[in-house]
Amino acid sequence: METPTGPGTSGSATVPVPLGEVFGIAAGFERTGKLAEADSLLRHILAVAPAQPDSLHLSGIVAFRLGRHEEALAKMEQAIAVGLDTPLYLRNICEVYRTLGRLDDAVRTAKRAVALAPNDPLCLHNLAIIQYERLEIDESIASAEAALLMDRTLPGAHFELAEALLLKGEMARGWEEYEWRFRIGGAAPLMPPTDKPQWDGTPFDDATLLLVADQGFGDVIQFCRYIPWAAARCPQIAVACAAEMMPLLRQLHPDLHLFTRWDTAPPFRAFCALSGLPRLHGTRLDSVLAPIPYLRADPARAAEWRERLVPLAPPSYRRVGIVWAGRPTHNNDRRRSASLAAFAPIAAVPRVALVSLQKGPATDQAGRYYGRAPLINIGAEIQDYDDTMALLDCLDVVVTVDTSVGHLAAAMGRPVWILLATAPDWRWLLERSDSPWYPTVRLFRQTVARRWDDVMARVAGELRA
Amino acid sequence: MNASVSMLCPCGSGLRSARCCSLDASAVPPPDSVRHLVPLVERAIQAHRQGATETAERLCLDVLELAPDRPGALGVLYEIRKAQGKQAAAEALIRRIVAFDPNNFVATNELALLLLGRGALVEAEIHARNAVRIAPENPQAHNLMGMIMTEAQRPQIGEFHYRRVLELSQTRDPILLANLAWNLKNQGRMEEARSLYEESVAAAPDIRQTLLGWARLEEADRQFKVAGRLLDRMDTLSPKDPGVMLSRAILLGRMKRYDEAIALLDTLASQTSEGKLGPNELLEKGRLLDQVGRYDDAFVAFEEGKRLAREMSRNVYQDAVADNLITRLRNFFVGGRLRTLPRAGTRTDVPQPIFVLGFPRSGTTLVEQTLSAHPRIVAGDELPLIHDITSIMPRMLNSPLGYPEALAELWMGDQRAGLDNLRDYYLQKVAQMGILAPKAAWFTDKMPLNETQLGLIALLFPEAPLIHVIRHPLDVMVSAMSNHFTHGFCCASALETAALHYVRVMDLVQHYRAEMALRYLPIRYEDMVDDQEATVRAMLDFVGEKFDRRCLAFHENRRYARTASYAQVTEKLYDRSRFRYRHYRAQLEPVIPLLRPVIERLGYTVD
Repeated sequence: METPTGPGTSGSATVPVPLGEVFGIAAGFERTGKLAEADSLLRHILAVAPAQPDSLHLSGIVAFRLGRHEEALAKMEQAIAVGLDTPLYLRNICEVYRTLGRLDDAVRTAKRAVALAPNDPLCLHNLAIIQYERLEIDESIASAEAALLMDRTLPGAHFELAEALLLKGEMARGWEEYEWRFRIGGAAPLMPPTDKPQWDGTPFDDATLLLVADQGFGDVIQFCRYIPWAAARCPQIAVACAAEMMPLLRQLHPDLHLFTRWDTAPPFRAFCALSGLPRLHGTRLDSVLAPIPYLRADPARAAEWRERLVPLAPPSYRRVGIVWAGRPTHNNDRRRSASLAAFAPIAAVPRVALVSLQKGPATDQAGRYYGRAPLINIGAEIQDYDDTMALLDCLDVVVTVDTSVGHLAAAMGRPVWILLATAPDWRWLLERSDSPWYPTVRLFRQTVARRWDDVMARVAGELRA
Repeated sequence: MNASVSMLCPCGSGLRSARCCSLDASAVPPPDSVRHLVPLVERAIQAHRQGATETAERLCLDVLELAPDRPGALGVLYEIRKAQGKQAAAEALIRRIVAFDPNNFVATNELALLLLGRGALVEAEIHARNAVRIAPENPQAHNLMGMIMTEAQRPQIGEFHYRRVLELSQTRDPILLANLAWNLKNQGRMEEARSLYEESVAAAPDIRQTLLGWARLEEADRQFKVAGRLLDRMDTLSPKDPGVMLSRAILLGRMKRYDEAIALLDTLASQTSEGKLGPNELLEKGRLLDQVGRYDDAFVAFEEGKRLAREMSRNVYQDAVADNLITRLRNFFVGGRLRTLPRAGTRTDVPQPIFVLGFPRSGTTLVEQTLSAHPRIVAGDELPLIHDITSIMPRMLNSPLGYPEALAELWMGDQRAGLDNLRDYYLQKVAQMGILAPKAAWFTDKMPLNETQLGLIALLFPEAPLIHVIRHPLDVMVSAMSNHFTHGFCCASALETAALHYVRVMDLVQHYRAEMALRYLPIRYEDMVDDQEATVRAMLDFVGEKFDRRCLAFHENRRYARTASYAQVTEKLYDRSRFRYRHYRAQLEPVIPLLRPVIERLGYTVD
């Protein structure tokens, strides 16, 4: 989100320091992330000049970044009312509307911003994001393309275009656009600066190919299937990865050199992100590499967990693994995560035991569950992904929001039902209830944005069937 | 010497504060220096014996002013104050004797009886145990333990001590037999109890307490006519006896003759010197008024009953103690630590426990009666054992820390089997109690508020089913107000503290469930009423036993539940007890803000 630059001066006569100057300092605080300081200065300005639009707007942005969403919206709407149709205000408020799930308001203001500032590609970029979320995919593509006509190097618009194309299954173009993901402002760099080239798929056997297990764990689990394909071209492979992923990646290829810290990276000739391999492989909808299962539970550990579950879950009940929330720092977490309470229709299915594989702060919800089906909070005893895989081996089916456990179960060829937002991540494509990436996956899609009730009711219906 | 009135001790002993309740131990002179007082003490004893109370009192006050620790003088003054009905003074004096002379059996016995009399059972137990330590072969020491443990709802221990009295005294004292009968009645062993009452009454036909107890037994065993005849007999024996009138009111209530019962209690009240009922009578009256729909009057009776009980027993919620324990439990039982602690193994050679958890008055008795109607499940009732384990754990684990921190010893090489030992302690005690039937695979432990120890239970019995009985919190509050119980640090001595403790425990349960993988099933009391079969099936599935229709007819389960719920669980499931709080909305208003988050979390509303 961009902050306004125009200094406000109205009411400056009543304080010794001109308000415009104070505003400038507050805007500086906001830019450098000193939100509390910015917040307090803006309060001061607004106490003196309550209708000063730039200050209202900036104060709204600060409130938004501090998580005070309702207040943010009220202030930004007030700024728009008093500041007339300032395109910047509109461009910013549409992102707040989107975050709060008010997609109609979001698209309306985004379109007005585009109309008022037809030469601002950022307005179009924001519109493209909102259209994606509204599942207006062709419109989203058109908006992103229009933004790129104005500025061919706008990484966000390229990335938005990539997601829309991939979601439609237009993979050839999609993969190319997807390459822009590392250039988005604020995106974590793939790796430390290097003079080595990105791998172009050309085989070599006299040096190391460095692969980077980038993005979330779900992405790593999905794309590590390409490691054997890469190893067939470059037998010496090193993979930079998080420690949690090591036991999984070892299963893909016997001789991988795995490391977790860049200062221990081996010399290499070329590098590639794991998520860049589908492009090199030339993956299309009809040629998705799916060597399922490519991950397996350790049989001894699975036996231990099976033993542990015996007394915990009634013997005659089906064991349904559940995960209701993803990592809260994921930028789409609000959209993709549900709550344990939303699983109520599933908990009402007779002779079902819910086995929670949930980790992280959302685990708290297990303590507040009072549904009919017994809930076994086995997540509290899970130490690592080896445990998770072993447990997945003991469950009849897994019902999960779009998170790494879904990928893991799917990569193991276990039955897994993934619950998706109306506008899902691109990899789940449009409309279909199956996935070319994972044959044992069934997809349950939201029909109304951010409403899980009918999704859960359908899942419960399938469980009863 | 005359102490000015303002300096007199507020306990009413007649001594100055500085020589009584504010006595500084260093102010007590060495015995040699006050030996000249010995003749005065002897004169006091003699005077008291001869009925010259004023002289005796004067002499005692004089002696104690100079030597406040003289047991003889304290003893005489105690007798005098006790006879005058000055409870607080008598208690202060007898306490002082025990404090100065811990091996004084007579004083220890007196103190224990006095504490038992006013319902201070926890402290009474401490002194009764001391009495047994001082005189292990003295029948009266065991008699104390028998009475106190029976009252404290640990009848199996009480039974042991009563039987020791029989052995040691070599006689079959009719009062002792009646006490043992009352104990067995509380264990649901109705036939044995009945035959002891018969024996006792044959030997001593007109003992009030015996007949009263017997009548209560027959009432509990649904022999209403027999109970009525026993009460009739007492009416001729001692007309207008308050105990008889209360028993009759209870009996009439069970026969649904509510108006007569209420009228009887009103007569009882008008008979007393102050025209007022005692705490038990008030709660009984409140429950009867509730039955006839006079809710406002009922709540007034409940509140007054609670107030009187607080005044007499001095039992109030131990807020700081409860808060401290719960905070420590919450801090100790966290996921990261639990992953490093061992668990006890599961024994396959003995029946296994099913823990029926819940706040008192939330339906745990109903669930136990239902489960124990199953041929493979026996009722263990309220087993005090988990609480006992928390007390003995530091010793068993050889730890310098208290519970729960003592569990840290499990990290030591020599304590890896510590939990197995504690588990075996529990199972062995259960076997000793004789509750295990030959074909039983399971026994229930329905000690209320055992959910406070959910973490410990899951370490000791990681495979045991944990059935948590949930009921609308406001209904639980109404029940807590209409019954006396001491569980939960005496929280039910007032509405506000009952609510506070309820919230504390429910928050702690939430914490355990988020931190541990538990074999835990919440069961709603309301579902037992609405959809009994599905709920019973779910419970039996959860335990892993086949459905048995007998569980639906639990009211035909002849087992007597000895807790306050007994009258309800011998009736078919009824709707009256569901959402009863609606009649008391106004009275419950003060605790609704505190309870609301839990009410919502449990999926209830406040209508």
